[in-house]
Amino acid sequence: MFGFILKRVAQAIPVILIVITATFFMVRAAPGGPFDEERAVPPEVTKQLNARYNLDAPVWQQYSDYLLNLLRGDFGPSFKFPSRSVDEMIAAGFPITFELSMYAIIFALLIGVVAGVIASLRANTLQDYVPMSAAMVGICLPSFVLGPLLLLSFGIWLDWLPVSGWGYTPGDKILPSITLGSSYAAYIARITRGSMLEVLSQDYIRTARAKGLSTFRIVTVHALRGGITPVISFLGPAMAGLLAGSFVVETIFQIPGLGRFYVQAAFNRDYTMILGCTIFFAVLIIIFNLLSDIVLVWLNPRLRQDSVKRG
Amino acid sequence: MNIENIEQGTSLTRDAFRRLYKNKMAMLGLVILIFLIVVALLTPWIAPYTYQGQNLAMGATPPSAQHWLGTDVLGRDQLTRVMYGSRISLMVGFIATAVALLIGVLWGAIAGFVGGRVDTVMMRIVDVLYALPFTIFIILLTVIFGSSMLLLFLAIGAVEWLTMARIVRGQVLTIKRQEFIEAAVSMGFSPWQIIRRHLIPNVLGPVIVYTTLTIPSVILLESFLSFLGLGIQPPQSSWGSLISNGVDTMEEYPWLLLFPGITLSVTLFSLNFLGDGLRDALDPRTSQD
Repeated sequence: MFGFILKRVAQAIPVILIVITATFFMVRAAPGGPFDEERAVPPEVTKQLNARYNLDAPVWQQYSDYLLNLLRGDFGPSFKFPSRSVDEMIAAGFPITFELSMYAIIFALLIGVVAGVIASLRANTLQDYVPMSAAMVGICLPSFVLGPLLLLSFGIWLDWLPVSGWGYTPGDKILPSITLGSSYAAYIARITRGSMLEVLSQDYIRTARAKGLSTFRIVTVHALRGGITPVISFLGPAMAGLLAGSFVVETIFQIPGLGRFYVQAAFNRDYTMILGCTIFFAVLIIIFNLLSDIVLVWLNPRLRQDSVKRG
Repeated sequence: MNIENIEQGTSLTRDAFRRLYKNKMAMLGLVILIFLIVVALLTPWIAPYTYQGQNLAMGATPPSAQHWLGTDVLGRDQLTRVMYGSRISLMVGFIATAVALLIGVLWGAIAGFVGGRVDTVMMRIVDVLYALPFTIFIILLTVIFGSSMLLLFLAIGAVEWLTMARIVRGQVLTIKRQEFIEAAVSMGFSPWQIIRRHLIPNVLGPVIVYTTLTIPSVILLESFLSFLGLGIQPPQSSWGSLISNGVDTMEEYPWLLLFPGITLSVTLFSLNFLGDGLRDALDPRTSQD
């Protein structure tokens, strides 16, 4: 198991390097310089700017400088806001986005797994239809419809909860977390139900039932171990979706997180910010996929054989 | 299953259709979907107003007999705009899913079946692509090539096949390890025969289930991009951009948010119920009737 983890971590490093390289050159390939404004800028100013952003060096030099700076955790200055560095903006925005994503995923896992298990145990009864219909609503109401609706009803009409901000007034974290998490709760409920139905029809569950175990014990000890694996493999990619979802949720609820900065950077054509954030998000997603793979192997020993053989 | 059917002998496909036909929600989903597709196809001929037609005197009116879904701030008919939006959203949904399905299934099946070094390399590539957040991917492409519909098909398709590939690979790996495959191998069947007889039928269920999750998520992704202003560009509009416009004025004119939102949600509902029905029909093991 330890060897497997070490091997996967070693595999992740070249992936991260490829991603950095690809992103760097894709951004460099975008036509038009970053300082092409409507108003012509004197050549001396352009020269100054190019020197500041290391754009006068040959591309390969720029690339290796960028890599070396990354190793030191330096993402360089922002194009749009020269007084701020990209790492400052990431340091300011990311903790908020991360907190929001964690609340959302915890909400999603709690609601999703419980609803999915109940539905699979009582398949095709009211206890199946009600949570699964709710899951449908969760999937079919996108965050950019659900968010405004929640905001309109709980924030404005009922006036129960704050409509914007993050950590300024008590309760202002509730609506964004629910908005971001609800579709994941729905997906997790569906996936859990599907895989639990599969697991519950297996012989070893029948054996467990025949032994006279309680349903609770069968579910938690026997069935969930296998039934939860598709949920775990869903969590890796879900992280990418959560980050993307934070773009919308942070925009709707005016939360000063990294997602909102990223969307603004895209509109501002703030290339260094886009580059830095993309690399940051990418490394994060690789780490989460890695974790979800490790947990998957830990849960399913049959996969372990393969990983040992391959190693 | 009753005695009659056993006596007549029904094929698995016919049996599946029979089960699907009995599923009321799935059939309702199918009917709504067909209706939406027909309306979307006929929109240029049956739309009550023209797409660009403005009537500033009728600026932002609630639903009425003349304008069933009301009008926006420029006095443009909301029903007409939602109908034209459906064309774009549905088209993106179906075409991008087809792209994703094709790439994902082939990729995952090959990786899982061949295994070993090929599998490692193929799944590394999936990891690398996963790690590229799709927004920058699409933004970069739109910056380089200019925003176009074809670009959206390809970009969304290129994003959405990854999960499909992982799922198919996982399924193939699990099935590959089971005894009946070993038995088939030991009996000397060729890999292609094993793929056709054992692998495809067993992978089909999950593929259909995840396709039904993919079509709505593709439609969602396009709407999401359009909502942020990065997808469909004006003067064209999809459900996403209509919703985005609606959110701006939702306190004063809630119907401008509500109707595109409802249309989008109903479409997703129909697709999901149809998909569920298909799953129950195609994979009798997990259905309880």
